[in-house]
Amino acid sequence: MNFNVFVALTVNGLAMGVIYALLAMGLILLIRAVGVMNFAQGDLLMLGAYITCWLTVDLELPFWLMVLVALLCFAVVGLIFMFSVYWPLRNASYPAATVIATMGASMVLKELVTLLWGSLPRSMPSLVRTEDGSAAVLQIGSINLQWQYVLTILVGIVIMALVFFLFEKMYVGKMMQAAAQDAYAASMLGIPTIATIAVTYIVVVIMVSVGGYMIAPIFMVSTTLGSLQLRAFAGVVIGGFGNIKGAIIGSLLVGLIESFSTLQFSSYKDVTVFMVLIIFLLVRPQGIFGERIADKA
Amino acid sequence: MIKIENLHAYYGAVEALKGVNIDIPSEKITCLIGANGAGKTTLLKSISGMIHHTGSIRVDDTEISQRSPTKIAAMGIIHVPEGRHIFPGLTVRENLEVGTIAWHGFFGRKPYDAELEEVYALFPRLWERKDQLGWSLSGGEQQMLAIGRAMMARPKVLLLDEPSMGLAPIVVSELFDKIKEINQKGHTILLVEQNARLALKMSDHAYVLEHGEIAFSGDAESVRRDPRTVRAYLGKFAGKHTA
Repeated sequence: MNFNVFVALTVNGLAMGVIYALLAMGLILLIRAVGVMNFAQGDLLMLGAYITCWLTVDLELPFWLMVLVALLCFAVVGLIFMFSVYWPLRNASYPAATVIATMGASMVLKELVTLLWGSLPRSMPSLVRTEDGSAAVLQIGSINLQWQYVLTILVGIVIMALVFFLFEKMYVGKMMQAAAQDAYAASMLGIPTIATIAVTYIVVVIMVSVGGYMIAPIFMVSTTLGSLQLRAFAGVVIGGFGNIKGAIIGSLLVGLIESFSTLQFSSYKDVTVFMVLIIFLLVRPQGIFGERIADKA
Repeated sequence: MIKIENLHAYYGAVEALKGVNIDIPSEKITCLIGANGAGKTTLLKSISGMIHHTGSIRVDDTEISQRSPTKIAAMGIIHVPEGRHIFPGLTVRENLEVGTIAWHGFFGRKPYDAELEEVYALFPRLWERKDQLGWSLSGGEQQMLAIGRAMMARPKVLLLDEPSMGLAPIVVSELFDKIKEINQKGHTILLVEQNARLALKMSDHAYVLEHGEIAFSGDAESVRRDPRTVRAYLGKFAGKHTA
């Protein structure tokens, strides 16, 4: 393997890893805030890709307007998702109801986009294009990198940093952490827990939807994007369940493993990823960073 | 300060409070004693809006019985729950910051340095531990943190639920000195305790709750000498030790 190939595979792997990390981080934020494993996480990413594709390709909105409208749509999706899939079931006598509802939501989302935009995969132009409209390439020395991959990494890092800032540095973030750790004590002190939960859902949907937007030009926009969630699961387990740092590192690792496993046989990349997952479950089931379910968001 | 009339509340299908009337006078310590399951915690949860109830709860002639916990906390009525319920994954300082939500908006940032200083002056131990995570504190420190967190909320009334639970006697007496000190600063306190001897010694007024009803009440000294208290809550030889 020469150096150029190594760099290219690393960048591709990190770009995919960042997408998995966004999904994984969102999963953990939701588990912390409401105790629900969201099986529709990948489908929310898919919906994000469809919405941005619709705004860009069908409505042909200029970039900044598209960003604004898209963010608004994502926030609304977050609220609808919370008030239909979680809120009515939160006091159900059968506690798994909220988890099973997300499985239902996964199907509903897939059918919804098929209904709205048809079952054929749609294509989305790259963010940085050459004059004839094909994806632009970043050339550093003899290394050729697709701009879209580089931008995905950058955007992903910025989003993760913003979420970190929101939770760790801002007043409202501390209230959200408190409500996630002990909802009873939090509401006793006067924290409106419905608001902290709503903000969490909005943040999570924005995170994964932006992931969907970044990845749309790399893959086609289709319902199969939802299956990316499986790799995020693998990242969460490898990193250590419940730990955000672990989830990010585990997800990046999954992206890299996937990328480098295409060097010889590209058709076996899923096998490689899930083999590593199985090895982890056998040898170190608590993951890289896992000790106990951490309380720190 | 707080006037409760004909309060009924249910714990599941059980009627936990059967028409309770209580007056909590301003700037005094009122204690509520009673056995396990008498309804003490249910009464506090009714005041702080955490459970459904009927009847009237008035604070300075404002009816609060149908208000949300958020609004009640904003009025300065702060409930320190049984079992402390500090936030395990936040540092001591962050735990204290969360207390300010009662008067602070959800977004933005208003200063609360004065409140922090006051709490650290009251509990110097919290200052020493300010960067430690909540779960790593001892039981006594956690109780100080729970009370300190409530003090950050600019409380008019503190509802303290079993602050002595699970603590060593020396820690308890230190803690109760602090509660007295808080009261002397002008905060009204409603104290729920199983340790009746200790509670009656430091309170001004006392109510005895039995099976969801007030059995008897009065100023703390007379309740302490009442033969019914001595028999049921202070033990056979209690008179000797407390006289």
